Amino acid sequence: MASRRRMLLKVIILGDSGVGKTSLMNQYVNKKFSNQYKATIGADFLTKEVQIDDRLFTLQIWDTAGQERFQSLGVAFYRGADCCVLVYDVNVMKSFDNLNNWREEFLLQASPSDPENFPFIVLGNKIDIDGGNSRVVSEKKAKAWCASKGNIPYFETSAKEGLNVEAAFQCIAMNALKNEPEEDIYLPDTIDVAGGGRQLQRSSGCEC
Amino acid sequence: MLPHGDDEEKWLAEGIAGIQHNAFYMHRALDSNDLKDALRYSVQMLSELRTSLLSPHKYYELYMRAFDELRKMEMFFREETARGTISVIELYELVQHAGNILPRLYLLCTVGSVYIKSKEAPAKDVLKDLVEMCRGIQHPVRGLFLRSYLCQISRDKLPDIGSEYEGDADTVNHAIEFVIQNFTEMNKLWVRMQHQGPTREKDKREKERSQLRDLVGKNLHVLSQIEGVDLDIYKETVLPRVLEQVVNCKDELAQHYLMDCIIQVFPDEYHLQTLETLLGAFPQLQPTVDIKTVLSQLMDRLSNYAASSIEVLPEFLQVEAFSKLSNAIGKVIEAQVDMPVVGAITLYVSLLTFTLRVHPDRLDYVDQVLGACVKKFSGRAKLEDSRATKQIVALLSAPLEKYNDIGTALKLPNYPRVMDHLDNGTNKVMAVVIIQSIMKNTTCISTADKVEALFELIKGLIRDMDETQDDEIDEEDFKEEQNSVARLIHMLHNDDPEEMLKIICTVRKHIILGGPKRLPFTVPPLVFSALKLVRHLQGQDGDVIGEEISATPKKIFQILHQTIEALLSVPSPELALRLYLQCAEAANDCDLEPVAYEFFTQAFILYEEEVADSKAQVTAIHLIIGTLQRMNVFGVENRDTLTHKATGYSAKLLKKPDQCRAVYACSHLFWVDEQDGIKDGERVLLCLKRALRIANAAQQMANVTRGSSGPVILFIEILNKYLYFFEKGNPQVTSSVLQGLIELIKTEMQTDGSSDPSADAFFASTLRYIQFQKQKGGAMGEKYDPIKI
Ligand SMILES: Nc1nc2c(ncn2[C@@H]2O[C@H](COP(=O)(O)OP(=O)(O)O)[C@@H](O)[C@H]2O)c(=O)[nH]1
Ligand SMILES: [Mg+2]
Repeated sequence: MASRRRMLLKVIILGDSGVGKTSLMNQYVNKKFSNQYKATIGADFLTKEVQIDDRLFTLQIWDTAGQERFQSLGVAFYRGADCCVLVYDVNVMKSFDNLNNWREEFLLQASPSDPENFPFIVLGNKIDIDGGNSRVVSEKKAKAWCASKGNIPYFETSAKEGLNVEAAFQCIAMNALKNEPEEDIYLPDTIDVAGGGRQLQRSSGCEC
Repeated sequence: MLPHGDDEEKWLAEGIAGIQHNAFYMHRALDSNDLKDALRYSVQMLSELRTSLLSPHKYYELYMRAFDELRKMEMFFREETARGTISVIELYELVQHAGNILPRLYLLCTVGSVYIKSKEAPAKDVLKDLVEMCRGIQHPVRGLFLRSYLCQISRDKLPDIGSEYEGDADTVNHAIEFVIQNFTEMNKLWVRMQHQGPTREKDKREKERSQLRDLVGKNLHVLSQIEGVDLDIYKETVLPRVLEQVVNCKDELAQHYLMDCIIQVFPDEYHLQTLETLLGAFPQLQPTVDIKTVLSQLMDRLSNYAASSIEVLPEFLQVEAFSKLSNAIGKVIEAQVDMPVVGAITLYVSLLTFTLRVHPDRLDYVDQVLGACVKKFSGRAKLEDSRATKQIVALLSAPLEKYNDIGTALKLPNYPRVMDHLDNGTNKVMAVVIIQSIMKNTTCISTADKVEALFELIKGLIRDMDETQDDEIDEEDFKEEQNSVARLIHMLHNDDPEEMLKIICTVRKHIILGGPKRLPFTVPPLVFSALKLVRHLQGQDGDVIGEEISATPKKIFQILHQTIEALLSVPSPELALRLYLQCAEAANDCDLEPVAYEFFTQAFILYEEEVADSKAQVTAIHLIIGTLQRMNVFGVENRDTLTHKATGYSAKLLKKPDQCRAVYACSHLFWVDEQDGIKDGERVLLCLKRALRIANAAQQMANVTRGSSGPVILFIEILNKYLYFFEKGNPQVTSSVLQGLIELIKTEMQTDGSSDPSADAFFASTLRYIQFQKQKGGAMGEKYDPIKI
């Protein structure tokens, strides 16, 4: 039972608004896609069971609002993430340029213990549009950026056609699993058999 | 109770420590499958969320900690119920015995989630129960977070159609009902927060409420994600219910934010089909609500939708979107008398963008929007607010960018009226934008009427709008602007001479008012444009047989004369002189002797009276000589007068070398190497001899003043002139004259101690040339034969 914590893998999806974060999650979790644009407000997650090496895990996928004005409470939910998915739209240069900001913002706010090795995954979405004729970010360019940031795995996806979505999330799950959990190693001052002795310890101010 | 920053950190740390502590024991209980202890510690852990000491941001951090722990409880509950240790219904009962209400409700929601998943009861019943139970928390912050927890855990368990929790025929309504109820309750908590606590903390509360807004808005996002919410249900149920709540809450912050949410979370098609209802809500909002931003966002969104595919455009027409939006804006502006101008203009910019995307063919709509703007400005002085003027530039640039043709903008009666309300600086910025658009699209402006309208638009660049600002203008900027006007003048063209003449007159009328600083930039392009027309007319000689022809070269020269004259007030005599000479040459090509003569006279007067600088004189005299040399229209008498003057000026230049060069250049005035060109060998020789005398004098002067020899190079230059005329067959220039000159130069060069290498080289190559001609044989060789070098 000690592995209960490890059965849950927390994933955060970040990227500019409109790149297809919500659509990717919906395609992966519900196998549904809608052409309509509906902005996301705040952050919330959907879950999906994944199997890795004969073991079942629950993937907790956090979809976020790309627009600042719909992220009023801040990003406390980044905490404890096992993997961060950075999404851009291959047809919009700005969304690619912003990946760096999203990555840095995540590292800053989530402050993982080993930022160098924290697992990121980059998804270049909407490759279906116009048969790829309107794309402005080449695969080569995207891969070069990923390579420069410590060999981030890269996938080209279409949430609309379901292209590569499954494979991408499988990779996301594997990388999340590889991430060493940042267990808050909590050691109480005294093993409090009876419970309710908390008030006493509070004064020590130890947060460990 | 104002939490000080440090205090707040401390309280948060304590809260987190409390959660960690209890979570530790909770985990131990979970590991040993001890349900009772697990519940006990989870209740204690959740008690940390009862704090009132934290701002929403910090509370959210605490909440997230508890939230993560609750996922483990949820998993445990699932395992326990799956193993049959306890039924989910029993569990649902059991957690309700928790002593404190807030932990109890968090646990209840958590079990509720397992309950729905187990499908032992219809989702709608469990959800209804939970949403009712949550009423137990009336503290705004705690209540909002609890309900957002409910919102989160129920997110994938709504009895939506197609969902595994789908229920009876009314299933979608149950899903909607649940979300709307939670939304309504949350909004009430959120609004009520504003009215709790002392008034002096109002600002702080406002800030805190703002942080909490997404918890409320999230419900709308959930609603929009419900599969079963089709257009009909949205129109009949969702939108009216949500708007009712928004309008009735009478809270500025909530109304602004929630309207924005509605616009962003629901799809474009829905907005189009419910525009009337949606827009109808705006006038019912509190007067302080910043409606313009929200409305702009709606229009921007719809504009993007229109731009996404032409297939959607019929939808817009079908619902008459433009007139609905236009009316709504009118009403808002009318109702909100205190709205700053920039607000109104922002609205119009959005409406215009919308119009241009949706109805590119409806120029009347475009003008209507501009007209509404003018109406809004009327009675006001010029706009000074820089944000407002920036918006106007955006407003006026939009049609240019859309149509890529200034002609379209010129057809809009309200376009110049809007420009009239700009301050001078912005007016100029806009004028430059207009010119840039013309240049970028190489738009040809082809009628005088259009030119008139155009110059009226860009008048900020054409003349001083007031006197005071003159010295504020940056010199570089000014030049840049005037150069752009100059470029513009070249874009005004019509192949029909009559119309072209009208265009020229129109331009002239405007630029002549430009004042001394602008004329040097604007007169030359106009002159060249007019000369182009002259050449055009001269090309189609003969077919000009109509009676009322006004576009004759003569007439145009008259206009040119008056135009160039304006430069005298600048004063800019050198430029005027150049332009006179250009005109003279054109008149020559038109065979208009008196006109050409007159232009020369003007040029000479300028030379005598205005060109004072000696360098400028040298330049001018060479221009005069060059032009005069090419003239063939003059009779003997006129020609004599002019050449006489020109040689006279040459000999009077200040410096001897300049004199010398100008005088030998004059020799060409008497020898035109053309079929019927004048060939007066005697006078050629006179010029050359005179040049020699001047060179001599220069030589002597140099000896006296510097004790060195003078510019021997002058002699070599003269020798080259002699050679030219020698070859052209001027009988006065004989081989013996040449021989004498060569000898002279040789002696000069020998006596000259400090030799000038460039003179040496020049002389050497001249001799080489003579040698070459000698050896060539034939007539030329014979001619050169007597010369010994
Ligand atoms: N053609 C195409 N459209 C997509 C794709 N993914 C998302 N979209 C559309 O892009 C818009 C924005 O998608 P959304 O998932 O809401 O983006 P988010 O703001 O990042 O969550 C919606 O209209 C989607 O239908 C894709 O892979 N292909
Ligand atoms: Mg989204």
